[in-house]
Formats: sequence, C-alpha cells, structure tokens
Amino acid sequence: MLRLEDVTVRFGGLVALKDVSFAMGAGEILGLVGPNGAGKTTLFNTISGLVRPRSGNILFEEREIGGMALHARARLGLGRTFQIPQPMHHLTVRENLTVAQVFGAGKSDPARIDEILQVMELAEHAERDAATELALQELKRLEIAKALATNPRLLLLDEVLAGLESQAKRRFIAKLRELHQRYGLTIVIVEHDIETISTLCSRAVVLNFGQVIADGAPDDVFRNPAVVESYTGTADA
Amino acid sequence: MVVKNLPGILLALAACLIPLVYGGNGYIMGLMVSGLIVAGVALAWALLGNLGGMVSFGHAAFFGVGAYASALLSAKAGLPVPLSLLAGGAVAALSSLAMLPALRLSGPYFALAILAYAHIFKILATELSWLTGGSAGFARFPVLPTIAGIDFSSRIGSYWLLVVMVGLCLLAYRAVKASHVGTALRAMAESEDATRVVGVNATLLKAWMLLLSAFITGLFGAMNAHIINFLEPDYAFSGTWSVLPIIAAIFGGYRTILGPVAGAVAIYLFDQLVAKAILPVGHQIILGVLLAGMILIAPNGLFGLFGKKKTGAAHAAA
Ligand SMILES: Nc1ncnc2c1ncn2[C@@H]1O[C@H](COP(=O)(O)OP(=O)(O)O)[C@@H](O)[C@H]1O
Ligand SMILES: [Mg+2]
Repeated sequence: MLRLEDVTVRFGGLVALKDVSFAMGAGEILGLVGPNGAGKTTLFNTISGLVRPRSGNILFEEREIGGMALHARARLGLGRTFQIPQPMHHLTVRENLTVAQVFGAGKSDPARIDEILQVMELAEHAERDAATELALQELKRLEIAKALATNPRLLLLDEVLAGLESQAKRRFIAKLRELHQRYGLTIVIVEHDIETISTLCSRAVVLNFGQVIADGAPDDVFRNPAVVESYTGTADA
Repeated sequence: MVVKNLPGILLALAACLIPLVYGGNGYIMGLMVSGLIVAGVALAWALLGNLGGMVSFGHAAFFGVGAYASALLSAKAGLPVPLSLLAGGAVAALSSLAMLPALRLSGPYFALAILAYAHIFKILATELSWLTGGSAGFARFPVLPTIAGIDFSSRIGSYWLLVVMVGLCLLAYRAVKASHVGTALRAMAESEDATRVVGVNATLLKAWMLLLSAFITGLFGAMNAHIINFLEPDYAFSGTWSVLPIIAAIFGGYRTILGPVAGAVAIYLFDQLVAKAILPVGHQIILGVLLAGMILIAPNGLFGLFGKKKTGAAHAAA
C-alpha cells in the first residue's frame, strides 16, 4: 500500500527526517508515535506532497509519488487531516465536502456527502461557515470528513484524538474502527496516548529526531528501552 | 427571488430604456457604446480578480490583441466579422497562455509581470508594421455587418450588440461563480493548501480563469475595433484599457457580478460628461479623487451595498 524508502527531509540546516523507511499493507492501522518535534507531521507532509524530500522514494500502491503534485496525490486516493485544522475558508461545511468530493474523488454524489456528515456527526452543522462557526472538535471531525469525501484508500490522521477526555476518546476510537471497516481504509494515525495506540493499531512506528527507532507490535514497541527513554517526560508535552 | 435579482432587473430595464430616450442622440449613444466596451473589460477584470485571485494591470494586452486579431483576420483572411470577433477573443485567450508561468507568482509580482507583458504586445504591434500598419495605424477592415435587418454598425445596432454581449458574459460569470469550480476558487483565496490537498489543481483553475478573462477582454477589444474602424498600437494597447476597468470595477464593487458593469458605464459617462467639462485637460484626475473617496466611504463599491454580509466572508452576493 505505502512504502517509504530512505526518505530524508531537510529544512535548511535541520534534518527533520533522516532515512525513514517502512512499508505497510492494505487494511493496516499503523500508529505513528514520537515526542513533539520528532517529525511526524513532516512525514505526513512529505507523503501528501506539501514537503519535498531531499532524497528517498515514496511509493503508493507500488507507484512512485515523490514527484507528484499535492492535488494529484489526493486524486490517487491519499487523504490526510491537518493537526491544526484547515477548513476551506468562505465555504460551508457541506461545500467543504462537496469540493473535496468533486475534485478529489472526481464525482458528485450528494447522498454520500450526507452519509459522511452523518457519520462524522456534522449533519447539524452542514450549512455553517466552516472557518468561523465551528468549535475545535467539530473542525477536527471536518478534517476527517473532508478527507473521506475524496474517497481515499489511505488516510493519514494527525492527532485527531488530542484534547478528548477519556469517554469521548473511546467513542472516537470506535468511530475510527467503523470508518476503517466501512470504507475499507488503510490508516496511519499520529497519537501520543500509548493505550490508544495499543487498542487501535496492529503496529506502531516510533520516530525520534527524524529517525525510526522502533517498528513493530505496539506492546513490544512500548517496552523497547530506546522508546521508553525518548518518551519519558515528553509524552504529554 | 425578484428582490435578490432586483439590481439586475433594474439594470436590464435601464439598458432597454436608454435607446428609447436617447436613441436619436448620436453623442449619448456613442458614449453608451464606449461605456459598454469598458463594462465588458471591467467584468473580465473582476472575474479574474474575484475568482482567480489575480490583480491584473495588463488587460490592455488582451484588449489590443483581440482588436488586432479580429481586424486582421477579417481584412486579410476574409473571415466573416461575427467569426473574427470570436477569433479575436480566442487569440487573446491564446496570448494569455504566455502568462501562465506568472500564475505561480504572488500578488504584486503577477501584477508587474502582466504589466510588462502588455507592453511587449504594444511593441510587437508597432514593429510588425508589414502586418499591422505599425504606428501609422490600420483602417482597412470591415465594419460590423447587418444581420437579419439589424445594422450593427449603426450606433443603436452596436449598442444592442454590446448590451447582449455584456449580458451573456454576466451570465457566464455567474454560472462559473456558482459552479463547483467557483466554489473551489472561493476556497483557494484564503486556504490554498487545504484546497489543493483535497484534489483541487489550483494552478489549472486559475489558468482557466485567466483564459476566460482574456477571451472576454479580447472579444470586447475586437468589437470596439470594428465599431471604431481604426486601430493604432497606442490606442489598442493604451493603458486606459487596463486602468479604466479597474476604477470601474472597484467603484461598482468588484466582489459583485453587476458592480463592475454598472460602475463602468457610470464612470465612463461621468468622465466624459462631467469631468471633461470641469477639467478639459487631465480630467482623469477627477476619477482618481472619486475612486479614493469611494474606497473610503464604501470599500465594497456601490453594488457591495446591496450584498448581504455573510459571517466571516467578504464575498457579497449579487
Ligand atoms: N516548514 C517547516 N520549516 C522549517 N522547519 C520545520 C517545518 N516543519 C517542521 N519543521 C521542524 O521540523 C521538526 C519536526 O516537526 P514536526 O514534523 O511538526 O514534528 P511532530 O509533528 O513530530 O511534532 C521540528 O523541529 C519543526 O520545527
Ligand atoms: Mg505534529
């Protein structure tokens, strides 16, 4: 489904990602963890096309996409959310989804938009101005809804669970499982909470200072001394 | 429905009444014809600014290219004038392709690039004198034809042609704005990454808007050429064709669809009838003062006053 080969990203003198390699199969839910500043968002930016890697390959369904434009990758079936929600300004919630569907999925299907609005619990906000009339958690759900409207096969979720108290979080985890099933998704999720990763993901990849320091079953990964060390005191930062 | 379309209905009514009242007055009808030419360019300029997010100081280029293309194609290739007018628009659109690399430039740099670009065409029209007659001008090309008994080369005939063409362009503009493309372009103005990341090819959509805007401008340049029936580079590529539409669009409200059109006719008539009487030389300075006052008093333009304020959005509906 997705394969990264020695992906390196630099911002001036800063090496944000260094020789990052991992592969994942269709249908997997992979947890991407690591302290703040480790390069998780940068990795998403690189896969989705906002950031160009200095070197390395990015393969999506066996196809090299490293040189492709942002919009072209979305059309291939690569959806993502932004850690800091980025609604399309001057558009209602429904218009946000419609633009995502028409241009990302290449079709217009209002019934499916209604379904996504329902699933993401945004139906009552459909006609609101997305940028000015939504609360933060609604904006985060809109991030996912927009990505879903493009009909993705791979979904990159950047800290969509942050800020939820435990009961809401459990409900949201169930929601993500439902999406995973219903839409046949492959998911990479950035999340700090170890328990969440352990319940939701079959696998975890740990980044630290731009490098992969562990990759495997969540329970094994979180017992790895290097991971524990990188995490101590920073997990909630 | 009627209330929402009221400004449009009133404008259409005014357009029909004017020839009834002033039909016999060649001077006024001539001014109306020129005002409508400016209106077409102002509409095209506002379309590019409003939908494409690009401020152009170079629409004179498209205007002049459309004018010369239609004049040359009708005179030298024998193309019937109705077709040569469309060809004028098409060649202007084609010439805008050379601007595509500039689409990646941000605001002020795009404005400067298109300004330079306009100048290049003026130089070309002057230097290619074997084709265009150079700075001596070009006059031997057909006037607007008579079709179905309507003599479009008469003042009244030209007037109706322009009213219909402005009307068609208004409808086209409205259709694009209301389409999914229009919605995506609206989003792009302030959230380019968020819009591209869901699959919108921002550069392509902007390019379409540039093409459409150039086509409309070239079409009006072509119609103007056949109405005036004389072309010289200094006239066809005059900076006036860049500046007057901007003043008109801002005056009428460039965020609205009707504003630039109403603004153009109002500004042109004001300039010719009032400003010229007060200051025969340098009367454009009065336009500048008027524009400055307008921006201070009603920054959304005359027609912006009709638009209901949407929360957070500066996009007034019209
Ligand atoms: N566009 C950018 N320009 C410069 N530095 C950046 C940019 N994006 C991220 N960085 C830097 O790259 C590092 C990784 O950041 P990020 O990927 O946001 O980390 P994470 O998401 O894991 O918290 C940080 O040091 C950050 O400051
Ligand atoms: Mg991050």
